[in-house]
Formats: sequence, C-alpha cells, structure tokens
Amino acid sequence: MSELPHTAFSLRRVGALTSNTLRELTRLRVFYVLLLFALLLIGSSFFLARMTFQQEFQVLKDISLGAINILTSVLAIVATARLLPQEIEDRTIYTILAKPVHRGEYMLGKLAGVLLLLAITTLLMSALFLAVLYVREHTVLAETARQMRAAPPDHLEEALRNVRASAFNLNLLPGIAIIFLKAALLAALTLFVSTFATSNIFAVVVMVFVYFIGHLEGTAREYWQQEHGTGWIASTFLGLVALLFPDLQLFNLVDDVVAGTPILPALFAKTAALGGFYVTLYFLLAWAVFYRREL
Amino acid sequence: MTDAITVTSVSKSFPIPFQRRPMVAVRDVSFRVEAGQVYGLLGPNGSGKSTTLKMILGLVRPTRGTTEIFGRDSEFVASRTSVGFLPESPYFPKYLTGEEMLRFYGKVCGLGGSELRTRIDTLLELVRLTNARTRRLGGYSKGMLQRIGLAQALINDPKVVILDEPTAGVDPAGSREIRDLILDLKARGMTVLLSSHLLEQVQEVCDRVGILAQGELVREGPLRELIAIENRTQLVLENASVELIGEIETRALAAGAQVVEKRNSETTLEKLFLEATQSATRR
Ligand SMILES: Nc1ncnc2c1ncn2[C@@H]1O[C@H](COP(=O)(O)OP(=O)(O)OP(=O)(O)O)[C@@H](O)[C@H]1O
Ligand SMILES: [Mg+2]
Repeated sequence: MSELPHTAFSLRRVGALTSNTLRELTRLRVFYVLLLFALLLIGSSFFLARMTFQQEFQVLKDISLGAINILTSVLAIVATARLLPQEIEDRTIYTILAKPVHRGEYMLGKLAGVLLLLAITTLLMSALFLAVLYVREHTVLAETARQMRAAPPDHLEEALRNVRASAFNLNLLPGIAIIFLKAALLAALTLFVSTFATSNIFAVVVMVFVYFIGHLEGTAREYWQQEHGTGWIASTFLGLVALLFPDLQLFNLVDDVVAGTPILPALFAKTAALGGFYVTLYFLLAWAVFYRREL
Repeated sequence: MTDAITVTSVSKSFPIPFQRRPMVAVRDVSFRVEAGQVYGLLGPNGSGKSTTLKMILGLVRPTRGTTEIFGRDSEFVASRTSVGFLPESPYFPKYLTGEEMLRFYGKVCGLGGSELRTRIDTLLELVRLTNARTRRLGGYSKGMLQRIGLAQALINDPKVVILDEPTAGVDPAGSREIRDLILDLKARGMTVLLSSHLLEQVQEVCDRVGILAQGELVREGPLRELIAIENRTQLVLENASVELIGEIETRALAAGAQVVEKRNSETTLEKLFLEATQSATRR
C-alpha cells in the first residue's frame, strides 16, 4: 500500500470522529433525560385533567416546551464539557492526533457528534410531547362530541374547531427548532471553554454563569440604555459583551408560541441566522485555541 | 541511508505556575533514526522520553529546535501520514470490540471498504487476536490491550512506528511476544522508535540506543559499540573437561592475557520464568 494522499479535509475522517463521539455520548446514559421528560409529562397530566381544555393544552405546551428547553440546554453543557478533558485524561486523543488528522477535523467531529445527540433528543422529546398533545386533543374532541350530541350541528362544528385551534398549531415547530439552536449554541460555547478549561467541572461552572448572564443580559441592556443613552462607546461595549455572553433571551420564542402569537418568518430567519453565527464563531474560537494547545 | 526521524537540538520547558524558572523536561537533544532501524530511547522515570516522542508526533511543540519525520516538520499534519503511535499505558473505550476499535482508527486514517476489512484481518492475525476480535476491550488482559494498541498503530501501514513503553505492565511471556512483533516489523523494513527502562529487552531488539537523564542525551550510538568491551572476549564452552579448561587458562596466561572471570553459565531469570510457566500451562 502506498502512502495515502493527504487532504486538508476528509469527510470520512470527520464522519468517523462524529459517530465515535455520538456513540460515546450515548454510553453516558444521557437518555435518562428522556425518561425524566416522559415522567414529567405523565405526572403533569394528572392535575391537568381538572382544567378546561384551553387551560389544559396551554399548560401542557408550557410545561413540555419549558422542559425541552431546559433539558436540551443542560444536556448540551454537561455532555460537551467532558468530551475533551476525558479524551486527554484517557490519552486516546494522542492516538487520534498522531494519525494524519487535522485538529480542526477533530474539533468538528466532536461538535457534530454533540449536535447530532442534541438533535436526536430534541426530536424524541418533541415527538413524545406532540403524541401526548394529539391523544389529549382527540380525547377532548370525542368528549365534546358526546356532550353536544343534542346541540345543532353548526354549534358542534364550532366547538370542535375551537378545540383543534387551541391544541396543535404549526408555530410549535419553529419554536422547537429555535430551542435546538440555543442548545447548539451552548454546546459550541462549552466546547470553546473546554479547550482552555483545566477540568470539566470548571467548564460547567463557567457555562452556568454564561447561562444566567445570557438570560439577564437583555433586561440589563435595556436598563443601561435608558440610563446612559446609546452612544457608540456603550454600543461597542455591549456588542463585545454580547459576543462572549450571547443574549439567550433572544432565543426564547417559546413563550410567544405558547401564548399563540405566531412567529413571523422574518423573526425566525433572524434568530436562526444569529444562532448559526454564534455556533460558527464559537467553533472557530475553539479551533484557534485547540490548534495551539499542547497535549 | 535515509533518515526516518531527525531530532535537531530540541528543548522543551514547561512553565510552572507561580515560579519564574520553568521546568526543563528536554534539553538540547539531537539524534537520528535511520530507516529500517530499531531505536531505543532509554532513561529513568521523568527523564523526558515521552516528551521527546510527543514532540516528534507534533503533540507537544518544542521550545527550541525541530523534529522531522522523513524530512517533514512535525508541525505539519502531513508529517504524520506514515506514522503509527502507541502511547504509554493507553486507554481504549471499553465498550468497543477489538475489531470495532480498529475500524474506527482505520476510518480516522481515511481508510474504508474492503481495503480496511482485509487490513483489520491481517493485523488481528499479526497480533494474534483473531479469536478475541468480537470481544469487548473491557475484557482484554493488559497484554492483549497492548497488542491491540500496537495493531491500532499499524492500521495505516506506516513506515515508522513510535512505541512509548510498549511492554509496561505486561508479563514476561507477553513482553516476549511484543518483542517478537517488533523484530517482525523490523524484518518487514519498518522503522521503530521505542522508549523503555527495561534494559534487557532493549538490548535484545535495538540497533541503536540513546540514553536520557534529566532531559539530556548522555549517551547515543549503535548498541553493539556502546556495550562492547574492546579488549575482552567471551568464550562459552559446553561439555569441556576440567583438564581442557586448565589447559586453555595456562595457554592464555602464557600468552600474556588475563582470565577476568570464570563461572558456570546461568540461565536468565526470564528463560527460567518462561520455562516454568509454559510447563505449567501444558499440564
Ligand atoms: N504537560 C506537562 N507540564 C509540566 N511538566 C511536564 C509535562 N509533561 C511532562 N512534564 C515533566 O517533564 C518531565 C519529563 O516527563 P516525561 O513524561 O517525558 O518523562 P518520561 O521519561 O517519559 O518518564 P516515565 O518513565 O515516567 O514515563 C517530568 O519531570 C514531567 O513531570
Ligand atoms: Mg513516559
């Protein structure tokens, strides 16, 4: 066998690293998160039974989307934080980087593995949630039909239409997509932090800070701008802060979705682009630090 | 002869937190490994063996000096197209089987398809783990792990393999197997650079050695030259009578030579150990 031609980027190499990362992560029993989610759904349905159907669907969406939001964020941080420190401790990283693998490819494989894991868990949780919503919707429809047996057909029609309208609406899907994007952003940022963190605990602690700052930032900025106006120094400063501490509140479209406000395509596109920008930025930063890193 | 590995005046210091003076792990070390040679890097714990190997592999950046593999600077990924590495006491994911682990490393090297399949078969045969190919690494013994680690280093059919203490923690029979594997690789024209502090083993396989002490290369050269005592000759006789030995001694003394040492040959502890344990397994 002659020497393999060496290319700057190989999809096969990255693919191997990605599937290996995904496999390693699934060994972590991260899927307990899904179990937790299922228990939450089942548990909540007990006390939902006493509400009107509008309230019931509302609360169901509220709890489910809130849980998906928090669980994917936690998963993104916890799963990513240990990837690099673990491989360095086990010295497996030596065997991988001693092969003709670019460090960028290695990082890309790690990130893609985590994103794949997040996509799978988000999809599974959403499927579970939508299935419960569907079942409840049909139970309520059947019940309404039974109760209004005697009512005139157009009254019944309208009642059924009301039930359908308050259950599933298409807006849930972009809402869930944005939740995934927020988790992806947190994963990329965690990867960046873990390139210079000395332990995974440190990375997790930093990320918890970033998470809280990210959620308070929007409010703080408004307050600042009211007090100090919007000079270019202030804007530049706030812009810099926003680079390292992304305004996570911007990714919080779920409240609107639950309230029934439609997500405008322009807003969705803007948020998605922002998420994509952050993921790319943090990946490049992680790569830059890791490129110089001694192992 | 072309040089497989060139190390030119490399130094490496690690900063120590809260101290002005860094810790110097490797100090102005130079040596060359010719293609097809087995080179042994010796030294006590902490003498800088692993650090030197990591610099050659581009895992650690030298503070000064350069390292090259087949003329390509270790700084570039292209220098690693033809290298295999087995780190010291490596850990491989326990949940993978031997075969899956080799497949992963093969793909990481850009291999795939039937080429990779036959490569895996050949390597498992070579390190004699064909029977254990579908077993999980968690159930492998230390010796088996070391051998699958060696197979991993050979997956892309490299011209150079770098082994950091390949026999650490392995029993004598196991280290003999690894030694035979190394000789096998050498017979196929491969270049081997290994580090060890087990001197006897190094003596058995290496063509050339370098001895590190506190980061400095204190001795370097062909093994035979380093350990030969120029003005002495050993003569090992079997079934020689007492008279014959007496006669040889008198002749030697008459010719002006001195008999420095006279004793019955001993077996080595290693040979004794292997004989004893092998007869036990046969029983
Ligand atoms: N990343 C690092 N940071 C700080 N010091 C280091 C680092 N890596 C190695 N050292 C120090 O450099 C010296 C040489 O270490 P090295 O691992 O190269 O020795 P070695 O010869 O391989 O020893 P051993 O036989 O124990 O494996 C040691 O004193 C070690 O503490
Ligand atoms: Mg060492």
